[in-house]
Amino acid sequence: MLEILIHGAVSSAIYAMLAVGFTLIFGVARVLNLAHGSFYALGAYGAYYFTSHFHMPLLPAALLAIGLVALFGVFVEKVLVRPMRRSQLAVLMITLAVALVVEQALFLTFGSEYRNVPEFVSRKFTIGGVDVGGQRLLALAVSVILIGLLWIFIQRTRLGSAILAVSQDPEAASYMGIPSDRIFSIVMALSAALAAAAGVLAGPFLTVQPTMWLLPIVKAFAIVIVGGLGSIPGSILAALMLGYAETIVGYTISTSWTEIVSVAATLLMLVFRPAGMFGKRAAF
Amino acid sequence: MNKFSILLSAACVAAGLTATSAVAQTKPILIGVPTSMQLQVGRDTQDAIKMAIDDLNAKGGVLGRKLEMVVADETENPETGISAIKKLTGDDKVDVLIGGYTSGVTLAQEPHISAAKTIYLGVGAASPSITAKVKQDYDNYKYIFRVGPLNSAIQAGQLTDFIAHFVKGELGISKIAIVGENAKWVQDLVPLLKKGATAAGADIRDTEMFDAQTSDFSPLFAKVKESGAQYMLVILSHASSDVFAKQWYDARFPVPYGGIDVKSMDGDFCKRIGGKSIGELAVNFATRAPLTPKTIPFWDEFVKRTSRQPVYTAFGANDAVYIYAQAVERAKTTNADAVIKELEKTNYVGIPGTIQFDATHDVKPGTATYRGPALIFAQWRENCDREVIYPKTMRTAEFIYPPWIKK
Repeated sequence: MLEILIHGAVSSAIYAMLAVGFTLIFGVARVLNLAHGSFYALGAYGAYYFTSHFHMPLLPAALLAIGLVALFGVFVEKVLVRPMRRSQLAVLMITLAVALVVEQALFLTFGSEYRNVPEFVSRKFTIGGVDVGGQRLLALAVSVILIGLLWIFIQRTRLGSAILAVSQDPEAASYMGIPSDRIFSIVMALSAALAAAAGVLAGPFLTVQPTMWLLPIVKAFAIVIVGGLGSIPGSILAALMLGYAETIVGYTISTSWTEIVSVAATLLMLVFRPAGMFGKRAAF
Repeated sequence: MNKFSILLSAACVAAGLTATSAVAQTKPILIGVPTSMQLQVGRDTQDAIKMAIDDLNAKGGVLGRKLEMVVADETENPETGISAIKKLTGDDKVDVLIGGYTSGVTLAQEPHISAAKTIYLGVGAASPSITAKVKQDYDNYKYIFRVGPLNSAIQAGQLTDFIAHFVKGELGISKIAIVGENAKWVQDLVPLLKKGATAAGADIRDTEMFDAQTSDFSPLFAKVKESGAQYMLVILSHASSDVFAKQWYDARFPVPYGGIDVKSMDGDFCKRIGGKSIGELAVNFATRAPLTPKTIPFWDEFVKRTSRQPVYTAFGANDAVYIYAQAVERAKTTNADAVIKELEKTNYVGIPGTIQFDATHDVKPGTATYRGPALIFAQWRENCDREVIYPKTMRTAEFIYPPWIKK
């Protein structure tokens, strides 16, 4: 029971980091970013590359990787997405193309083998008789802190208010002198940085290989559909539900069945409540 | 038409025929290589074939013809695998196919190999169903041979011996959990393994099958622990062995593991995961040991050329080129039917052992009296070195438990 509680919390935390960024950029810029999983992959590969090729200490390597991925996010938004933002279909296609290009670039650069991202904490902890790797606990803690900081940033700062204003009505916000385009870039950078941080934190105990972008985007999609597209509280709640549902299925039935949970949740939500739990309107 | 014209025409026809024949004689023998190019098993297949081709060409080729290699990526997807066979046999018109890795892909390719009437020497896939077709429908499937690895039924037998003689016999452990990925060859192997292990006196406490995409093994480890098993016998090929080993180590999981773990055969596997496989006992089909007079020279030459240690597909691929070349020399033609008759008589001292084919064109395993290929269990040790633990006759060091397991 305690095992389910701990491992479910770790899965939920990683999912929440992925889904919050994904829903943030949709909520503010109405961009369904299929390249979001690539930010996660690039974060993990960046940490691997800087530590193994330049022998950098892990923390600077991780921060550098997250920073570069945030810049890449800005590039994707400014150069590729912005000219096509009026067409949702075009945005979907261009972000999917980015994801595929990143995957192939990783294949060509690093090959298909799994790569090792070193962990920040290598020791094992025993909580109530349950053995848990230290890196998993760190991922859980950092995830809670980062999402908390993001919440404070949006609710308590001037820039956060501007983001909220743009998310409610971009046109009215620009009449009030808020530069919407700059806000979109900032939000994309935040979203990419969160995904990259998830990659750096989960990389040491999960898969690091070129196709690793696909599963996170499926999960993020499922979570934001269940939670309601554009709703951060909805995403956090849905991430918790999905993380725990998968862990319970893994422990009580079989690990082979865990992947079907997110797909089934998405399907059921689209049929019975297309707007999701916290969504104001159906996104599709 | 006068006499001179007739003579001239006859001379022209004769000259044309001679020229055509000369071209056929000098045309290279094409070896088609369908393999997973992105994986080390695929890269090693290509490099090992290239080594054999370079060697044979330096000695004058086969029947005076040079050998050449054409590669097609079959990935791990049956549809792409079929396209690779169609390209190699239809467009490139290769004389022989040497390759393969995923059993599901090879099984899907077989009808197309048969339709193309092209000899196929498998070096990667282990499902017994692949060669079973030779016996069921010889006329259509006589083209299929397996040079390596040993099929999964034979592997199950040798794993059973490992459980009986080493896990139970030497470590004194009888409570075992079987953990395998959901793949065709594993589905073939697990029932045989369970039956054999139970007959050998082992108590199979748990059998866990998981999807190859699984990235969190915590629930699986919890179930194994709950079952009371004291040894985890793994059967992994396409799954993320790296993640499995990392999570086993990170949780300091109190149960040692070993078995068939294809990615753990990679020379850099241990270093790739930061040394977290130390203590794992993984099956290999050859190691740098004098299994035959060819093993060490091949191993060293391969490392010299590629700067990496070979995996199992390299042994089969290199041997397959020589086996085919010798069969063509004996048959004095590349005609498939004639070469098949010679291939069936193969008795070749290869890298992992002597290669002979049984009635289903499958490689014969080694026995106490016959030095054919056999499973070799090597353990990852400090500094990511490997030591042979089983069979006992080849042991280079004693087994050690991972540091967190006290015995």
